[in-house]
Amino acid sequence: MFVVELEKVSKHFGDFTAVHEATFSLEKGGILSLLGPSGCGKTTTLRMIAGFEEPSAGEIRIGGAAMSGKRPYERNVGLLFQDYALFPHMSVEQNIAYGLKRRNFDRARISQRVNEMLDLVKLHGFETRRPAQLSGGQQQRVALARALATNPEVVLLDEPLSALDAKLRQELRIELKQILSAVEATTIIVTHDQEEAMSLGDRLVVMSDGRIVQEGSPTEVYKNPRSKFVAEFIGRSNWLQGKLGQADSAGLCLFEADSGLSIQVLNPDFVASKYEVCIRPERIRVNADHHSADASVFVNRLRGTARHIAHLGADIHIVVELESGELCTVSEQFTGQSLDQYDGTIECTFFPSDCIVVAAGT
Amino acid sequence: MLQRYIDNFGAWAVIGTILITIVFLIAPILVSILMSFDARSYLGRFPPTEFSLQWYARFFSDTYYLTGLRTSLIIAVIAASVSTVAGVCAAIVLDRYEFPGKQALETVFLSPLVIPAVVIGFSLLLFFALLGVFQGYPRLLAGHIIITFPYTVRTTLAGLTGIRKNLTEAAMTLGANERQAFWDVTFPLARTGMVAGAVFAFAFSMDDVAVSLFLTSPDTYTLPVAMVSMMRTNFDLTIAAASVILMLFTIGLIIVLDVVVGLERVIGGGVYRS
Repeated sequence: MFVVELEKVSKHFGDFTAVHEATFSLEKGGILSLLGPSGCGKTTTLRMIAGFEEPSAGEIRIGGAAMSGKRPYERNVGLLFQDYALFPHMSVEQNIAYGLKRRNFDRARISQRVNEMLDLVKLHGFETRRPAQLSGGQQQRVALARALATNPEVVLLDEPLSALDAKLRQELRIELKQILSAVEATTIIVTHDQEEAMSLGDRLVVMSDGRIVQEGSPTEVYKNPRSKFVAEFIGRSNWLQGKLGQADSAGLCLFEADSGLSIQVLNPDFVASKYEVCIRPERIRVNADHHSADASVFVNRLRGTARHIAHLGADIHIVVELESGELCTVSEQFTGQSLDQYDGTIECTFFPSDCIVVAAGT
Repeated sequence: MLQRYIDNFGAWAVIGTILITIVFLIAPILVSILMSFDARSYLGRFPPTEFSLQWYARFFSDTYYLTGLRTSLIIAVIAASVSTVAGVCAAIVLDRYEFPGKQALETVFLSPLVIPAVVIGFSLLLFFALLGVFQGYPRLLAGHIIITFPYTVRTTLAGLTGIRKNLTEAAMTLGANERQAFWDVTFPLARTGMVAGAVFAFAFSMDDVAVSLFLTSPDTYTLPVAMVSMMRTNFDLTIAAASVILMLFTIGLIIVLDVVVGLERVIGGGVYRS
């Protein structure tokens, strides 16, 4: 039983197609991240689910009921706005109680529910404060409590953490996830931030130019992006463009980059005239002895010189100029090693299975 | 070094300008306040040698002034109320809806600010003559509503633009329909702007001479018009007393405004941040 279903939902604004035949569904308690760059149609999709925009075509169902023609207040959807949209003239308590009042809960039930929500977001003692007297993180929790108070069938979060600074963001991400699972809220998160999308969501829907380009678990999408767009949008990547040779019996192909560099990759399950290969920086090892693990496994070896080394804390980023001339970013974990070992000629190694092959121009 | 001199000179120039402005703003008013308490029965030299309330007594026993004050108050109350309601409606339409000619409509609404009051007064006089309306009240009311309307539109609009649209949307996802969202969220937040508009409207209506001069009838005239015509016929310090009384109404109103909504918020334009 799906709580939210979108079936070929499109939205046009004049000649402009904001969303094209978006189809996805979400079961009860699921958390889905709608990820994409700004202008990809994710916000329009969210606004259609909330009822602020009417789809030009297709159907949205919430709890099995078609939503067409239903105004926002005729749906039971909780929405956490990017800038929280707290009512500045109401106290924390009044903000949380507002939805309950408008949904005609009786007085006793309202105060009970407000208390539950204050418990949930740990804001006891702040009941009478105005939003302006709260920190950004606290405002967000009030907004979340307000959105969850009426027990909405689906909770929509619009860029929930983007208004906060980096450190607070990490803390609140964990807290947000805990709160959402505590109330078993069916949730759709709209974001352009891959970390936010991957850490909060158990399903990822990637959008580009109004279309859904890939869907799957965060790990699945990260490991097997089906287009250059998805691979680039999620995670950092090194790119090579070139031609693919015949596959051998082990399923390996020789990939010849335009620069003359060649590596072994896994045979892709599609055919294209030109291919591009993406290697994640963290999949490349520097000066590692890959032979010891299993001699039968083929390892790509590329020689080069470190051009730039940045120690970022837990990670070391090394920009390597390969002998073929390409620049390649490598990310090594810092385990106490000396940075001296990156001097002189170094060897970059990675497995064919670490190479993501996509059709060029996707 | 030179830069330092220039900076210093600039700072003194600013301070000097402020001082001069203050002197020219306050001094004439102080003179007329002091003169209104002059005990001499003729228009003597400043400063007064003795003080009394004789000019105030004369003001309150002169039916000519009293009629003017009464008319002014009635007109100001009605004009401010009407133009506040109309201004709020106009501002809401301008703020919440998109339609062709919106810009033009806004310009029309605010045009009385640019058109000289004398032109408005004269045009209205001709227009009402055409319609066959010669009574003072309807003519004055129409004139005053027209000149105060832009202020109520402006202040309400300033209040409304400070309210982010997503507050209304938030209310709607929480179960409020459009009407409830307006009364629960938009109205309370824009109220400061509306009150400010009403106060400005009242003050401008009380104060107006240029438009009113054309629209009075022999038995319906406002206090400022009465003062102007008294100045021509028998100039004495009752006019100073009348000025002080007129001023007291405005100051009283500002104090009320400050107590009720806070002056800073009104002058700040009613922009809210959460």
